[in-house]
Amino acid sequence: MEEKTVGQILWERQVSRRDFLKFCTIMAGTLALPVGFGPQIAEALEKAKKPALVWLEYQDCAGCTESFLRANRPTVAEIVLDILSVNYHETIMAPSGKRAEKSLEDTIKEGGYLTVVEGSVPTKDDGIYCCIGGRTALDNLQEVAANTAAIITVGACAFYGGWPATPPNPTGAKGVQDVVSGVPIINLPGCPFNVDNLTATVVHYLTFGSLPAVDDLGRPLFAYGRRIHDNCERRGHFDAGEFVREWGDEGHRKGWCLYQMGCKGPITFHNCPTIRWNEGTNWPVGAGHGCIACSSPRFWERPAYETVPIHELTPPATYPEVKAAPEGPSPVATGVIGAAVGVAVGAAGAVAVRQLIKEGVEEEKEAEGEE
Amino acid sequence: MAKKIAIDPVTRIEGHLRIEAQVDGGQVTEAWSSSTMWRGLEIILKGRDPREAWLMAQRI
Repeated sequence: MEEKTVGQILWERQVSRRDFLKFCTIMAGTLALPVGFGPQIAEALEKAKKPALVWLEYQDCAGCTESFLRANRPTVAEIVLDILSVNYHETIMAPSGKRAEKSLEDTIKEGGYLTVVEGSVPTKDDGIYCCIGGRTALDNLQEVAANTAAIITVGACAFYGGWPATPPNPTGAKGVQDVVSGVPIINLPGCPFNVDNLTATVVHYLTFGSLPAVDDLGRPLFAYGRRIHDNCERRGHFDAGEFVREWGDEGHRKGWCLYQMGCKGPITFHNCPTIRWNEGTNWPVGAGHGCIACSSPRFWERPAYETVPIHELTPPATYPEVKAAPEGPSPVATGVIGAAVGVAVGAAGAVAVRQLIKEGVEEEKEAEGEE
Repeated sequence: MAKKIAIDPVTRIEGHLRIEAQVDGGQVTEAWSSSTMWRGLEIILKGRDPREAWLMAQRI
């Protein structure tokens, strides 16, 4: 491990104080911490020693590696990830074969490193379906896990098994938490995962010396605590009953709600709509395809193009009556339900509903106003 | 004197690869490559909704 602190490295790389503080404030925001935590993060990061990290790839597609390599927002994030001492990463490291394995062995001997795992671990037939350096992934993972400070899983595969674990799961693929115990594990699922969440997790670790708070699936709450549907820019169209019915139809061209096309936003928890991808440019729903619930366990077993039930959001009886259209639910009728649902989850929901009744305005219009 | 060498893992590629080579007097006389990871997408895709094939296949 290098003796220089992160602060010194940033100084040498001519990262301005202003950019650094800006980054720390953004990190505080990403971690859902009060803005006041920015300076605290800055202070901790400046003093932190360059942490060692090993990145293991098992049954993976390297999609999460691609996501990792695209860390570029803000520039400091790139450097913070860069100043992690990435001692082992098959896709980007220079040495091959025995020399590569030696880098891993040396790091394991030193101990206290962070481990990132990408890809599932095959367990069938003694784990022969993924071998590195002549050893099974299972073997390799157990050895690395024995001396690591924490494991961060990236992507759906390392989380629960991902698509390799889809029935009939030919290789007995499993997630890291199903084969490793006794080590702190934090999951950053997604297909691929979003690198901003890794940056934030590492920053949290360097600032507070611990991993961020997680939900019952081991996913950090700062990134997986909010429903996609509630933060979606197409939500107004859901509330107004404006749905895409067919790929390329008028609604699709106008950017209407993708719920009827099978969007899983209503059942998926991820900060995808807010942090987005490619320098915050866009995200799948923004690009015109429904969410596939890639941050949820066993999402491949859910038909991608069938609608999901919205159990939790059924409006209670105390809300204005929803009248069905004469012949089955029409887009407008669904919109009325959507309107009630939409206001039900909003903070000013009750007020808006009262307004609705009092003024007797057109529901669709009201729902859009609410959004 | 012929000897056999193995390079595993081969790095800077996407996927898992092992190369074995028979070396005789500085010349490779025979070589074998093996992909050391398998997931069975062909098996998993069978019987699934064809509209989803691209979603999975793009993730190989």
